[in-house]
Amino acid sequence: MRRKYAILGDVDWVLIGLYLILVSLGLSNIYAAVYDVEHPMIFSLSTEYGKQFMWIGISLFFGLSILLLDGSFIKKNAYWVYGFTMLLLLLVLFTSPINGARSWFGIGSVGIQPSEFAKIGISLALAKYIAEMGSQFKEFKSKFRIGLILGIPSILVLLQPDAGTFIIFVSFVLVLYREGLSGNIILFGIVAVIVAVITLIVADNTFFIPFTKIKVTGKFGIFLFITLLGLVSIFMVKNYVIPRNRKSLYRVIIGGFLISIVFVNFVEVGYTNILQSHQKERIDLLLGKIVDPDGKGYNINRSKAAIGSGGFMGNGFMQAKLANANQRHVPMQSTDFIFCTWSEERGFLGASLLIGLYIGLMMKIITVAERQRSRFTRIYAYCVLGIFFFHMLINIGMAIGLAPVIGIPLPFFSYGGSSMMSFTVLLFTLIKLDAERKNVLQ
Amino acid sequence: MNNFDNRKFVITFLILLIGSVFIFRLAYMQLIDDQWKLRAAEISENKLVTYPARGIVYDRNDKILIDNQVFYNLLVIPRETEGVDSVEFAKLLNIPIEDYTTRMNKARKYSKRKSSIFEKQISPKDYTQIGPELYKYPGFIEEERTLRTYPKPIGAQMLGYMNEVNKSDIQKDGYYKSGDYIGRSGIEKEYESVLRGKRGVRYILQNAIGVFTGSFENGKFDTVAIQGKNIQLGIDAELQAYGERLMQNKIGCIVAIEPSSGEILSLVTSPTYDPNLLVGRNLGNNYMDLYKDSLKPLFNRASMSTYPPGSTFKLMMALIGLQEGVVTSNSSFPCTKSLVGCHNHPTAQTISDGVKMSCNPYFYHLTKKIIQQNKSPNGYIDAGIGLDIWQDYVQSFGMGKTLPTDLNGVSRGLIPGKSYYDRIYGEHRWMFSTIFSISIGQGEVLVNPIEMANLAAIMANRGYYYPPHFIKNIENDTIASIFQKKHKTKVDAENFSYVVDGMYRVVNEAGGTARRARLDSIAICGKTGTAQNPHGEDHSIFIAFAPKDDPKIAISVYIENAGFGGTWAAPIASLMIEKYLTNAISPSSIKREKRILEANLILGK
Repeated sequence: MRRKYAILGDVDWVLIGLYLILVSLGLSNIYAAVYDVEHPMIFSLSTEYGKQFMWIGISLFFGLSILLLDGSFIKKNAYWVYGFTMLLLLLVLFTSPINGARSWFGIGSVGIQPSEFAKIGISLALAKYIAEMGSQFKEFKSKFRIGLILGIPSILVLLQPDAGTFIIFVSFVLVLYREGLSGNIILFGIVAVIVAVITLIVADNTFFIPFTKIKVTGKFGIFLFITLLGLVSIFMVKNYVIPRNRKSLYRVIIGGFLISIVFVNFVEVGYTNILQSHQKERIDLLLGKIVDPDGKGYNINRSKAAIGSGGFMGNGFMQAKLANANQRHVPMQSTDFIFCTWSEERGFLGASLLIGLYIGLMMKIITVAERQRSRFTRIYAYCVLGIFFFHMLINIGMAIGLAPVIGIPLPFFSYGGSSMMSFTVLLFTLIKLDAERKNVLQ
Repeated sequence: MNNFDNRKFVITFLILLIGSVFIFRLAYMQLIDDQWKLRAAEISENKLVTYPARGIVYDRNDKILIDNQVFYNLLVIPRETEGVDSVEFAKLLNIPIEDYTTRMNKARKYSKRKSSIFEKQISPKDYTQIGPELYKYPGFIEEERTLRTYPKPIGAQMLGYMNEVNKSDIQKDGYYKSGDYIGRSGIEKEYESVLRGKRGVRYILQNAIGVFTGSFENGKFDTVAIQGKNIQLGIDAELQAYGERLMQNKIGCIVAIEPSSGEILSLVTSPTYDPNLLVGRNLGNNYMDLYKDSLKPLFNRASMSTYPPGSTFKLMMALIGLQEGVVTSNSSFPCTKSLVGCHNHPTAQTISDGVKMSCNPYFYHLTKKIIQQNKSPNGYIDAGIGLDIWQDYVQSFGMGKTLPTDLNGVSRGLIPGKSYYDRIYGEHRWMFSTIFSISIGQGEVLVNPIEMANLAAIMANRGYYYPPHFIKNIENDTIASIFQKKHKTKVDAENFSYVVDGMYRVVNEAGGTARRARLDSIAICGKTGTAQNPHGEDHSIFIAFAPKDDPKIAISVYIENAGFGGTWAAPIASLMIEKYLTNAISPSSIKREKRILEANLILGK
């Protein structure tokens, strides 16, 4: 049964409002970051703000077009969109590399980054698959297929190579968690991150095994610690747990022990042998193992200096000393490090406001997701949430020195056509699906 | 619908958590931690640096030893040099055009935006031609700095030199920035932190198009340049210059000390060089030339070398013998030449005679009584006990232990004790007859020329000394208290009178070993030394103080391979004393002076 309704009737105006605010603040910020005295007009196409202005126009056109579509049409074609974006990801591997990665299709003077659009395809496909599989998350077949939906694009972006986008794909774990994947996965993830960080910190160190003269690398220290922990746990179980529960706990301890050993080895080998030297450097910088403010740590040091110098009120619009268009002390200040210009010019006040806006947007998306009767729309909403969340987490985290340097855009703020379009389409698809929530009877 | 609805709270919590972590982090960076603001000011290089003038060094009579001279550096900001006529500019600087290109490339490699040095140390004379033309060449900026200059070419080694800081200096002390100068040796190094002052920095604000808009954070991070402190040394510039003149064409050194304060009046080392050679653009080349010189002019013999003290050492033997009570002032010993060689002289009837005639066998017998005191029936054990007593005494004269002084690189002498000879011969395998050479300042004994001058000062003071030092005054500050601390020897003052009497007779009585040092007007007390050494002719040594009562100067003179102590070292010491005390050379000493000035004692070296 279908009701006729006005096109914009049930549209969520809060989401649209937040979108418009973020986009306009973003545009003004790019204007300040790359201001060109000879082209002061905001729609001068020879400048980045002129181009961004154009991209926003195109994005809005796409966004409004989506609102005109039928929600069921989107759902029906979810796999096709997925397939199309995967094809683009495959084809892009046959282009010639730009800056060492095959990530771009050049069309005239503009470039298209298919990995940005892949996020839309994955979100739709994942939503459709999980919505239709019922609640049999435990079946191997469904696990395998979900693995396939996520694994194919992951491998394709790693082949570019584009580690940043891969990390964004990890955000889909959040969706799976919401839909019933074991809660231990989050806990497991946190423990894994902690163990990994400790491993990385001690990986290059060597020490003597106590009371001996045998010199070993840092990871053996962790092994020693894990072994001791295991022995203590077994001792505790043996003495303080009732016999019938013991067996399963022993299994957990031994399993945990083996997994930890393998994991630490994996991290250590990956860090020393697989990571490229610049990636290793970025991790070392974050962990404070290298301090080199004018060399390897140049980007992050400049970024922090720009942000820190903003103070409470900031230096004012177009008044940045470091992240300004003329000095360009901060590298990539219109794309990856766009947060610097904003924070330097608007200060703590503006920076917290921006974070507040992103948090607000995400809270609103959760509200929207939870009011859906359609499982498809809810899952899709969480996909959008995860993507925005990870982009903000890594981009801002990097700028303020809490995450390693990974080049990914800040939604609606960073300069770039592909990301602007894909974020807009992601959000407007959600708005469209949400607008039709009352039509769904499920 | 399913049981997982509560998980939205976990996800919400996670997002809010990250959000608050970010906001707290931002609050810390932007509101609390000032380091990023300072770093930002540093990066944008919107700062004006003011360099303080380095402290001036004066002598004891307020004559300038080390002064400053202005020179100019030319800095370049590569980004702003568009349209500069490089050929014209190279001509102006008088450099080949290829140099212009390589220097520009080097500057560009460093930074296109920041200034770096293009041409160093342009003299004020050259700069009068360059300065007025500079406006035609955008991107080039002048920078006024100072260099050291020495009004009199004296005291090169003790005053030291300066050069540019290297990487390890910058790492050791965060104050230094590339291009700064640092004291490398001598006084410049010792008093670096006093002399250098502190540079000042003013952070300024510029807007996006480079226009000055005010001072950064209302001057919160600005610092005022603090001028380096002037210092005054105990050195007498005229005496120093005179000493260096006397030491021309000789190898060796003179150390003169004011006994009542320990202030060093002059520290002459020869051969020497003009300290102005190690200033400015030719520093590197000149340094290499001096470094390669076979006579080693860079080596400060007065402070860095150790020599056998020869017979000057006998003064201490006499004092120790008296103090230990193993001899009296009237003890007499035969001149037994079979024990140790000697020259022909009447038998020494008293300790004063022994000193006057410098009789070797006399001091052999005397020192044997110190070393072998029969404190143990076993002669070997007895020698060990005696030698340690002896060592203790000698060390109380400031020998064999590093003197607390403000001169870097002072070497210390060697005063052997029991353990030293045990290492050489084995425990209980030696006694006085094995080591008797120490009684006449030969054998293993080594002393530093400053220690020798200090011995003269101790004789002058009859039993105590102040550590020899250069510093006399620091502007608005006090000198280190260690230099005002009186060190007493283990010998009582009354025992000194017999030995000092001997020293007086050395110079002033017929049959004394240093008649050539005698002055009609001044009562000089001295002791010659003639040290055998493996490098050829004996070293000529003399230590002295004057006047006998109320002494004003104590001195040691050491001339390498020049022969008998009375022949060369004694007259030089005498001239120095006369110069210092009367500020002139009397007609009766002119002949003596002429003989010294004309002597060339490095022939064949």
